[in-house]
Amino acid sequence: MRISEIIYLVMVNITQNKFKVILTSLGIIVGAATIVMVIAIGQGGQKDVEEQFKNLNAGTIEVKNGSSTMTMMMNSGARPSAGSSGPSGGGSSASLASTQLSQEDVEELEFFISGIQAIALAATTTATVNGGDLDDELSGVDIVGTMPEYAPISNLEMAVGEFITDDMLDNKSGYVILGNTLAIDMFGSEIAAYDQDVMVDGRQYNVAGVLQRVGSVVNDVTVDDAVYMPYSTANKYIFMPNITPQIIALAEVADVETVIAQMEVLLRELYPAANFQISDAGSQIQAAQSSANTLSMLLMSVAIIVFIVGGIGIMNVLFVSIQERTQEIGVLKALGTSKFDILLQFLIEANIISIFGGVIGVGLSYALMPLMTYTGIRVEPSIEGGILALVFAVVTGTVFGFYPAYKAASLRPIEALNL
Amino acid sequence: MKKAIIEMRDICKSYKLGEEDLHVLKKVSVDVFEGEFVAILGPSGSGKSTLMNIIGCMDNCDSGQYKLVDVKVHESKESQLSKVRNEKIGFIFQKYQLIKKYTVIQNVMLPLLVRGMSRKQAEPICAEKIKSVGLGDRMYHIPSELSGGQQQRVAIARAIVTEPSLLLADEPTGALDTKTGKEVLQIFQELSAQGNTIVMITHDLQIASHAHRIIKIVDGEIAPNVADEITPANHIEAPAIQIDETK
Repeated sequence: MRISEIIYLVMVNITQNKFKVILTSLGIIVGAATIVMVIAIGQGGQKDVEEQFKNLNAGTIEVKNGSSTMTMMMNSGARPSAGSSGPSGGGSSASLASTQLSQEDVEELEFFISGIQAIALAATTTATVNGGDLDDELSGVDIVGTMPEYAPISNLEMAVGEFITDDMLDNKSGYVILGNTLAIDMFGSEIAAYDQDVMVDGRQYNVAGVLQRVGSVVNDVTVDDAVYMPYSTANKYIFMPNITPQIIALAEVADVETVIAQMEVLLRELYPAANFQISDAGSQIQAAQSSANTLSMLLMSVAIIVFIVGGIGIMNVLFVSIQERTQEIGVLKALGTSKFDILLQFLIEANIISIFGGVIGVGLSYALMPLMTYTGIRVEPSIEGGILALVFAVVTGTVFGFYPAYKAASLRPIEALNL
Repeated sequence: MKKAIIEMRDICKSYKLGEEDLHVLKKVSVDVFEGEFVAILGPSGSGKSTLMNIIGCMDNCDSGQYKLVDVKVHESKESQLSKVRNEKIGFIFQKYQLIKKYTVIQNVMLPLLVRGMSRKQAEPICAEKIKSVGLGDRMYHIPSELSGGQQQRVAIARAIVTEPSLLLADEPTGALDTKTGKEVLQIFQELSAQGNTIVMITHDLQIASHAHRIIKIVDGEIAPNVADEITPANHIEAPAIQIDETK
């Protein structure tokens, strides 16, 4: 029998039983819609992760103070004076904030470890800010004291003016760089903010530049709302003595491991008793991505279960339909239809039903997706999701249609015709 | 001598009925020649339905030889038998066996589609056959819109559309009243006159007497001499033989 004619007969059958087709495909409709949704949610999660780490290079390395109790007890003391060459380290003058990383450490690391492309010391505190169009002073604004290379490491770009320069750092100059939103809130625009004065903790600073909009968090600081200033300035006027600065550095992703190892060695020599946590952004990104992946997989398996249930639904209906159509199958057999053609006819029927369900389900999910914004779950519609759902629908139709179809094809004509 | 359409030798068939074997056909031999109109007459339980299933290649025999035109049916596999049914036999059933969802022309078309024809090729052939059984104005109706006699005529059109070597009719008038039954038999006689070979199974001697030759089967065996006794020439009014009509 020609395939086109088999399809023709199947279509005659299906169109005479529209209601049954819709009922049968219900499971597939739900399954397909679930798959599309799940993939959209999964991709939304991935996008979230991507955006979260947008300003983080995979080669970023972070050095933090480890357990402070250790450092207090062991008390390895402040670093020898600046410019001292050689990591002979370990002075003995005791202080509470004993292993406070310093600008000298940064210079040391940069000097000895060739894999480091950029490095900066950074510490964050909060302070009150006033000036410009503000009616009341802002309290709790993040103040980041850091070094020039902080900008390239964190992918910060200037909208106006310049970031911290070596001159500013050396002179402990009274310059600040404003986050984009903060600048606009205070002065109406980036350009208007340039070269204006702002008050931080009651001391006056000059705005040297305004950052471009970032929209994300870098080193626990919402960049757009923060104030950046030279580390030396901040250390002198704003930071408390017990502040715990971190070092952030940038290396080629391939060099990250070596650089971390070298940093560990060097820091141990500088502060034998201290304990530092060195982490790299690459593995943080990986961890976040893998948890997003796990979520996707979990949702995906739910979708597959829905499909299996839908498939069992199809199988049930096909079985019943074969019972109803025993006479028809008998006639087809008596007229000489081969087993293969009957098998094909029922398989095509199962497939048309499931493709129908798949298309409706995919359409439905794309239609419902805008509603997901009300749930706060981020969804990213994708073509792949739709295609995957259709593929699953076809596979389900074939797998679960096969046994009933085989049963039908194996009926003996005399039994089917009840002769 | 005319070409043999059916050559059956010593066909045996038994079914397991609990512990016992039920011998339905015991060494049945039948010959039917081209152009003949043969009635197989027998009461219910005589084995005539089993014989009809074997002739129709829908059931196989336990032993014996069966040749249909040039096919050795007893040696054929299921897949080959499907082909034989499609190409050599036109079936007419007691209950018409039309597919309810299909229109008259779709029903008649089926055997041709099974054969691998396209709808386009099959349509004119089918239309012609449907007209020949007098249903030219009912082509796009579904079976439930037709009377029993009309449905049986659709079934006849479906049987002859492939121009088979053998028309095999199983109680073709069994579900019809006497008048419509006669009309259907009229069609059979016309088909016979056109040279079709017809085998008709019935329990009714009245019906069987329309055939050229009657083969009587009783308890799974061919009753002797009946063929000589009853011929269309001496159209019998009353049954010459004792026939169990309590079906």
